[in-house]
Amino acid sequence: MTSSLPGFLFAIPFFAAIVIPVVGFTNQKLCRPIALGALLFLSIVSVIALSEVVSHGPLSHEFGGWAPPIGIEWVIDGLSGLLMVAISVVSFIALVLAGPLVEKELSGRVIPFYSLSLLLITALGGMVLAGDLFNLFVFLEIGSLASYVLVGVAGGRSLLSAFRYLILGTIGASLYLLGVGYFYAETGTLNMADMALRLPEVLDSRAVLTGLIFIVLGLAIKMGLFPLHGWLPDAYTYAPNSSTPLLASVVTKVPLYAFVRIAFWVFGIDAVSTQIPILVVLGWIGAVAAIVGAYLAIWQENFKRMLAYSSVSSMGLFMLGFSLGTETGFAGALFYVLADTLMKAALFGVAGAAIYQCGASTVTDLAQLRRNMPWVLAALLVSALSMVGIPPTAGFFGKWHLVVGALEAENYFAVVAILVSSMLTALYFFRMFQRMWVEPLPKPEPLVLETPLPIRMGLGILTFGIVALGLGGDLVMGLFFESVIPKGF
Amino acid sequence: MADILFSRPHFIAFIILFLLGMYIMVVCLNLVKKLIGMYIMQTSIILFFITLAVKADSTIPIIMPSVSALTPEAYANPLPHVLMLTAIVVGVSTLGVSLAMVLALYRQYNTLEEDQILGKVK
Repeated sequence: MTSSLPGFLFAIPFFAAIVIPVVGFTNQKLCRPIALGALLFLSIVSVIALSEVVSHGPLSHEFGGWAPPIGIEWVIDGLSGLLMVAISVVSFIALVLAGPLVEKELSGRVIPFYSLSLLLITALGGMVLAGDLFNLFVFLEIGSLASYVLVGVAGGRSLLSAFRYLILGTIGASLYLLGVGYFYAETGTLNMADMALRLPEVLDSRAVLTGLIFIVLGLAIKMGLFPLHGWLPDAYTYAPNSSTPLLASVVTKVPLYAFVRIAFWVFGIDAVSTQIPILVVLGWIGAVAAIVGAYLAIWQENFKRMLAYSSVSSMGLFMLGFSLGTETGFAGALFYVLADTLMKAALFGVAGAAIYQCGASTVTDLAQLRRNMPWVLAALLVSALSMVGIPPTAGFFGKWHLVVGALEAENYFAVVAILVSSMLTALYFFRMFQRMWVEPLPKPEPLVLETPLPIRMGLGILTFGIVALGLGGDLVMGLFFESVIPKGF
Repeated sequence: MADILFSRPHFIAFIILFLLGMYIMVVCLNLVKKLIGMYIMQTSIILFFITLAVKADSTIPIIMPSVSALTPEAYANPLPHVLMLTAIVVGVSTLGVSLAMVLALYRQYNTLEEDQILGKVK
């Protein structure tokens, strides 16, 4: 039973994605309950899988009765179990929140929205579970196709951003596939565990170095790492409000997971920090991304665009944390990834709710929220404070461990980069709050009502999650040190 | 360095096709031409993988009575072929989605040139 858990994690959202168009054809109202039911079930199963992994060690599922180095293998270990829980829970909340937005924005496209969202979650799950590099590529492409369409599903301006995302995303996927080809030519295997055993012998070959560079470049395009983030601001700004909480919270985190898996599990920490010192380069890029992303966010008038640049900045912080080469830095980066999934879902949810209720798309317009929308306002406040890194929120805890990890690595430049990017983040959020409270509202004051129940519920759970993750930070970090962090630091 | 390349002309073909595809994607403003470039780039990677499978004096990886089944060096490596079968499917579905997007863009803006679409958006 337990060894087929990876199969279950794939099958639940996949069958829901197929059932939705079939059932929705006769009764469109059933789409939402099916999607939410499947995701709730998926969340429960992935929590069970994580607890199973923590208590009994990694689970592996082989397909068609062929043993792993030859056959296809799916693995859940600490890291993939954790990511699976994050993906399923956050996407469940993001779809709860999206309900009223979908009805308003995409009224004729309810079926494709829910079906594609589930297909996206299936593919993200598949990437997290895949035990070999080629399966990872296939799921990367399935997930990307679903997200291109989720960006462009509303038509109009969003279609052009979706098309650009598609062109850049395909270049990224092609580079990744090319890198996999180099690895295969050099080691003769695609299975990650098998490759980890064979790579040390060929580590000084130029083919491995070139392959690694191609793979990192390809994944960097997919995760929107500065300076390859070109598609990201437009895609997040013009995508329909119903899909941005889902897209912004999980889609870029999973290519990051793929990078971490390849760098720390397939290559190993020694190989990527000393023999092929790619972590040093990525650390610098991450530091620059964290600062430049936050700096660019200051100048954005459109709220969603500001959040998109803030995503670029967060991606830099994750990269910086993972490349510090210390246990605390790794754990801090992972914690900040979890915190950021919640924060981005909440912030884009607030942006969607503001446009839904009063058409407020710019930072100045957000002042309209301050009278009658306490729920949305609370979510905005808590997640903004968490982005800045103010205790007791999750963002503070993540940044704290990043700084401690950087100090342990004696990398003072990284410490400065983290602090500067936090200050710039504080600058753009406090500028927003200043406009909301200090400057007077236009007269006569517009009458704005509180949002519908699903939005309030979704934002409430996310806000609670941000604070709870911050307060329970020590517990989560304990879990990381016990069963998530790779050996060899 | 040059000898290595000239003894392996398929690598030269792969590099030319890959760069040509990328060049078309970046330079052409017509959306359909961009997709042609994208497809050339994807096909060049398929060529790269298939050439990895080739061995001298080997045959297709189907067991035949004339060749002993126990000599792996007598057969081409089947794995890259199978991988590329999947990669072709992935490429075709990407092309399908992108053509649908181009069609929707054309219906909306009545042109396929990116600069004209951008002009109409603003």
